[in-house]
Amino acid sequence: MSVEVKNVTKKFSHFTALDNVSLKVESGELVALLGPSGSGKTTLLRIIAGLEFPDPGAQILYYGEDVTMIPASQRKAGFAFQHYALFRHMSVFENIAFGLRVRPRATRPPEAEIRARVDKLLKLIQLEPMAGRFPSQLSGGQRQRVALARALAVEPKVLLLDEPFGALDAKVRKELRRWLRQLHDEIHITTLFVTHDQEEALEVSDRVAILRAGRVEQIGTPEEIYDHPASPFVYDFLGNVNLFHGRALEGSVAIGATEFVVRNQKEATAPAVAFVRPHDIRVMRQANGSASLPAKVVRSNAAGPVANLDLVRQDSGEAFTVQLSKEEFQQLQPKPGEEVFVQLRNVRVFSDDYSI
Amino acid sequence: MNSMLFSRQRTVLPGFKLTLGFTIFYLCLIVLIPLSAIFTKTSTLTWAQFHEVATSPVAMASYRLTFGASFGAALVNAVFGLIVAWVLVRYNFFGKRLLDALVDLPFALPTAVAGITLARLYAENGWIGHLLSRAGIKVANTQMGIFVALTFIGLPFIVRTIQPVLEDLDAEVEEAAASLGANRWQIFWRVIFPMLTPALLTGIAMAFARALGEYGSVIFIAGNIPLKTVITPVLIMGELDMFSYAKATALAVVLLVISFVLLLVINLLQWWSSRHHEHL
Repeated sequence: MSVEVKNVTKKFSHFTALDNVSLKVESGELVALLGPSGSGKTTLLRIIAGLEFPDPGAQILYYGEDVTMIPASQRKAGFAFQHYALFRHMSVFENIAFGLRVRPRATRPPEAEIRARVDKLLKLIQLEPMAGRFPSQLSGGQRQRVALARALAVEPKVLLLDEPFGALDAKVRKELRRWLRQLHDEIHITTLFVTHDQEEALEVSDRVAILRAGRVEQIGTPEEIYDHPASPFVYDFLGNVNLFHGRALEGSVAIGATEFVVRNQKEATAPAVAFVRPHDIRVMRQANGSASLPAKVVRSNAAGPVANLDLVRQDSGEAFTVQLSKEEFQQLQPKPGEEVFVQLRNVRVFSDDYSI
Repeated sequence: MNSMLFSRQRTVLPGFKLTLGFTIFYLCLIVLIPLSAIFTKTSTLTWAQFHEVATSPVAMASYRLTFGASFGAALVNAVFGLIVAWVLVRYNFFGKRLLDALVDLPFALPTAVAGITLARLYAENGWIGHLLSRAGIKVANTQMGIFVALTFIGLPFIVRTIQPVLEDLDAEVEEAAASLGANRWQIFWRVIFPMLTPALLTGIAMAFARALGEYGSVIFIAGNIPLKTVITPVLIMGELDMFSYAKATALAVVLLVISFVLLLVINLLQWWSSRHHEHL
C-alpha cells in the first residue's frame, strides 16, 4: 500500500526536469522532497498530482492502481500551493467546502453533512471563528492552514504540499511545520512535501529524498542522510561544511602534515577533499600531541546561541569556520590574529572532483 | 509630535495640494461647467414646458430605444467580448496579434465612417443585408440596425477591460480547483467567472455609457423614423437644427440623469462584487 512513481522522465524543450526518477512512499508516511531550485522536486510533485504529465514510459501508482493517464480532477490527490491559491471570492467555509460541492449529485454529501465536515476541519486547523472571513482577511499562516483543510476535505488518497511554508516568515514557518507534523501524527495521511529548506525536511519528515538535477541523489530517514551522506552534494546541502584539500590514505586523510581518521573508507593516495562540519572542529590553545592543524583566528562572533569563529590554516591559507558552545568560547577567549590548533572529528572524504 | 506625524502623512513625492487643486479645476473646466450649462439652459423652460418636451410620445419612445438598445448591446458584448478576450489571452495561434489589433478598430474608426459602412453592409442590397433579407430579416432602418451599430462600437470596451484581468489570473487557482475534483465547466463558473465579474461589470458600464451617447454610427443605419428608430441623441440634434436649444437641453438633462443613475448602480454593483478581491 503506497504511492509509487516509476521511471519518470520529464523534458521541457531544452531542459530535463526529471531524469528517470523512481520513488516509493509507504502508506501513512511523510516524505520530504528536498533539493535546490531547478532540481525537479516541484515538477515531480505536480506529476504525482496529475497537474503535469510525464514523458512516455513512466508510471504513477496510487496504492497499486495506475493513475498515470488520469487527470488531476479524478486522482483524489490533495494539493497545497506555496502561495495558497485560495478562492478569494469565497469565505473560508466555502473554500473548504468547494471540493465537496463540486461533486456530481450522486456522490455529493447532503448539505448538513458538508457543514459538519467543514466544521470538523475548521476545528482541526484551529480556525473555527474565521469560517465567515475571506482569504484577504487572514494572515499567511492562516491562509495556508485553510488551503490544507480545503485539500483534506475531499479525503484525498495522498496529500501533496508544494513548499507549503515557503512564503511565510521564519517564526510562523517553525510553528506551522510542527503543527503539520502533529496533524500528520493524528490523521496519518500519506504525504509528500517539497522544500528547499534542509532544516524543515530533517525536522518534519519520516524520510527525505534529496533531488539534484532531476535525479534522486539519496533517500533515507533524516538520521541516515545526515549521518551517512551518499555524496558530497548531499553532505553540503544538509548543512554548513568546511573543505580541507588533502590526500586519502587507508582509513585516514592527510591534510598538510597531519593525518586524521576518516569515517568513510576511501582508497589510498588519491587526491581528496575532507568534509568537516563547523561543530566537529575542536579549537585548542596548545597542540596536545594528538593530530591537529595550526590555524590563525580571523574573526569571532559570539552573538546567538553558539559562537562562530573564522580561521585560516597556517600552512595552506585555506579558510574555514568553527562553531563553539558559549562555554568553550568563554574558556578560549580567541582574539583576531592569535594562533590556535584545531582537531577534526567526523571527517568524511570524497574524491577531489566536487566543488561547492 | 506624534499627532503631527499621524495627521500629515509625508510621502516621497510632494504636491498633494497642487495635484488635487489641479484635478478639481480641470474637472470643473472640462466636465462640470458644460454640464451645468445644460441645466441652466433647461431652466429657462417652465416646469410644464419641460414636462411636455421631456415626456412627449416621441421622446419617451426614444428613451426606451436608446436605453434598451444600449443595454442590450452591452449585454451581448459582455458574452461575446468575454469569449474574444478569452481566446486572445488563453491561446496562441497564427494571426493572434492581428486579431488583437482588430479589436481596437471600433475605437479608432470615425463613427460616421462606421455608420455608413454598416448601413451599406446591412442595406437590402448590401453584402450581409441581401442574405438576411432572404431569411426575412431586415436590419437597415430598423431598431435591429441600431442594436447592430451599438454592438459594433461597444465591443472593445468589454475586451480591453477583461483582457488584463484574465492575463493576471493565477493558474494555480484553477489547478487547485481541478485537484479538488472540479470539472472544466465548474472551474469556469465557480472560480474564474466570479473573479472576472468586477472587470466584466466595468466593461458593461463603459460600453453602455458609450452606446448611450452614440450618434454618428447610428444615424445612417437607423433610418430615423419617429417613434420607431429615433434615438434620443438624434432627437436632440433635430431640436438643435430647429434652434430650439431649451428643448434640446431638456432632453439632454433627462438622458444625463438616467445615465448617471444607471452608471452609479453599475458602479455600486462592481464595488460590491470586488469587495474581497484584494490581491492575495
